[in-house]
Amino acid sequence: MLVVDDEPQILRALETTLRAAGYEVDTAATGEAALTQAAVRPPDAVILDLVLPGKSGVEVSRELREWTQVPILILSAVGEEHEKVAALDAGADDYVTKPFGLDELLARLRASLRRTQREQEPLLEIGDLRIELDKRAVYKDGELLSLTPHEFKLLRLFAVNVGRLLTHQMILREVWGPAYQSESHYLHVYVSQLRRKIESDPARPRYLLTEPGAGYRLVDSA
Amino acid sequence: MGGSSIQSFFAASRHSKAQALLGSTACVAAVTGAIYAFRGAVPVLSLGALYLFAVLPVAVLWGRLYAITVAIGSMLAFNFFFLPPEHTFRLEERTNWFALAVYLATGIVVSELAARARHRAAEAEQREREEALLAELSIALLQGERLADGLEAIPQAVARILGITHARLELDADAKSESRGLELRAGNRRVGVLLLPDAEQSDASVRDRFLPAFSSLLAVAMDREALEQEALAAERLRLSDSIKTAILRSVSHDLRSPLTAIRVAGESLASPALELSEADRHRLLDTIREESQRLDRLVANLLDLSRLQAGALTSRKELVAVDELVGQALAQLAGREASVRIELPDDAPIVNVDTAQIERALVNLLENALRFAPADTDVVVRAAAFPDEVVLRVENQGPALAESDLERIFEPFEGAVEEDGRQGTGLGLAIARGFAEANGGRIWAESHPLRGVSFAMSFPLAETRIPAQA
Repeated sequence: MLVVDDEPQILRALETTLRAAGYEVDTAATGEAALTQAAVRPPDAVILDLVLPGKSGVEVSRELREWTQVPILILSAVGEEHEKVAALDAGADDYVTKPFGLDELLARLRASLRRTQREQEPLLEIGDLRIELDKRAVYKDGELLSLTPHEFKLLRLFAVNVGRLLTHQMILREVWGPAYQSESHYLHVYVSQLRRKIESDPARPRYLLTEPGAGYRLVDSA
Repeated sequence: MGGSSIQSFFAASRHSKAQALLGSTACVAAVTGAIYAFRGAVPVLSLGALYLFAVLPVAVLWGRLYAITVAIGSMLAFNFFFLPPEHTFRLEERTNWFALAVYLATGIVVSELAARARHRAAEAEQREREEALLAELSIALLQGERLADGLEAIPQAVARILGITHARLELDADAKSESRGLELRAGNRRVGVLLLPDAEQSDASVRDRFLPAFSSLLAVAMDREALEQEALAAERLRLSDSIKTAILRSVSHDLRSPLTAIRVAGESLASPALELSEADRHRLLDTIREESQRLDRLVANLLDLSRLQAGALTSRKELVAVDELVGQALAQLAGREASVRIELPDDAPIVNVDTAQIERALVNLLENALRFAPADTDVVVRAAAFPDEVVLRVENQGPALAESDLERIFEPFEGAVEEDGRQGTGLGLAIARGFAEANGGRIWAESHPLRGVSFAMSFPLAETRIPAQA
């Protein structure tokens, strides 16, 4: 586990806590130090502060993603929404907002770690949803749903990244292609169509949740 | 003769009737003497024309009335001294009557013409002065001088134009003046009141000509000032808005960092799932204690800043040795004083400052220097006494500052948005500067590419000699 923050006190508290929770912890106070540290001793996960001296959290995320799929958990604060979304777009997996609770941090960390361990299976079950990736078929309560190709691609993207926050830009790039990265109204329309099919109550979604200002997240609420 | 001396000559002569009478008599006497000298060589009757040389200067200098008097007096003197029978006012020959009449008529016409020329010259000069004053006023007012600053000088200049000793100006900028005097109007609008002493009478034609132009100028200047103030108020609002945004951003970050550390440490200590060693517990408890102190300092800084910005700060000055100030400041650094090296002169200089405030300023400089000092380097505190001031320096070997940043970093909340991601409270340096200046000191930053960054604070050297018995 690599913890990156320029506040020595936060670093110290996190280091002590995570070590007590059973993780091995390395620390870094700058973006450059974090990149070096990650190369020397590849971590299982990176906890990364957004605002750092030298290279920012966004740049560190981008450079890490060039060579590793290690889960990156962003520490952000109110007022840093713009940078937070940029870091997520650059490949970070998730974020917690300062001052975060310990339980929240550990839960997000465990979820991130689990995702990398999940193998690419042809069959995904999320709540009462059953997604057969190879047959391009989706069942809800055993009933076959009829999805358009774009709706299926969208659901598949969410399903293989279950629990992970996906930004608007990331989804548009994956489903529609890089030329559509800024067409977020497409996305809102397709998400609401998809919700009408997979959610029992589309106005109060259980699976496909909105992260205000950032993106969407498919959760396994079962 | 230059224009100004003519003018002053007029100004002096206007007030001296005796001088005019004396001068007129002297002119007549001088011409009479000249005729007396020439009368052997030239026929005496033709010499009467010389009296025009008496009439002309008198007309130019003292005006029509004296000139006509001089013309009549000259003819009487000519008759009395030179025309037979001499030493009487009687005349023997009829032709002499005719000559006298011609001389007199010529004298009167010449005096009238000269007096008119004199009047025109005086009026032209007066207009010139009026125009010069208006031009000077408009330049001063349009270049941004405030009307309120001119309330002494402007009416004095106006009084000079009106030919009186003094005047007072009351503007209707804020409230309608209740005073009675000459109303200054620009169009239909009352601009103000010009108060003239009752006893003195100003020239009505000058008033009618000059005051409307003067009033319009005042009106323009007042409008401009009003607009300028509105613009300033709008700018101040905009600034205070952006400062508020900066405060929110900075305070949000500065509050959340310690809060995050405290929350994580607290929840760890409380969590039954974690296995904490005794050393871990101590570390977490230390974190909580230190971060609480940091929050406390942040709140104190915010209060200081709001007091400084409201101008509500008072300094209770006392004599204190510099080494004592430095010692007190170090004691507030909560465990980080180990990496501060002190280099003070043996006979510590004495300054006259508010101890608490300058300690805070020093602590803020030290915290800033420690924050940006590279690991394993010391922050150095030096003091040097000069003949009239004491300079305290806090130096580190941190990254050099750009020339343009040396002043900017003292602005509140500037530290919060460093481009390279460095974050400070954004308050400490602004507060240090506020306290230093409130105590008669100065504070500035210097940056050397090789030697790091130096923050200097200077105070006047206190007078420590025991004063002579009062």
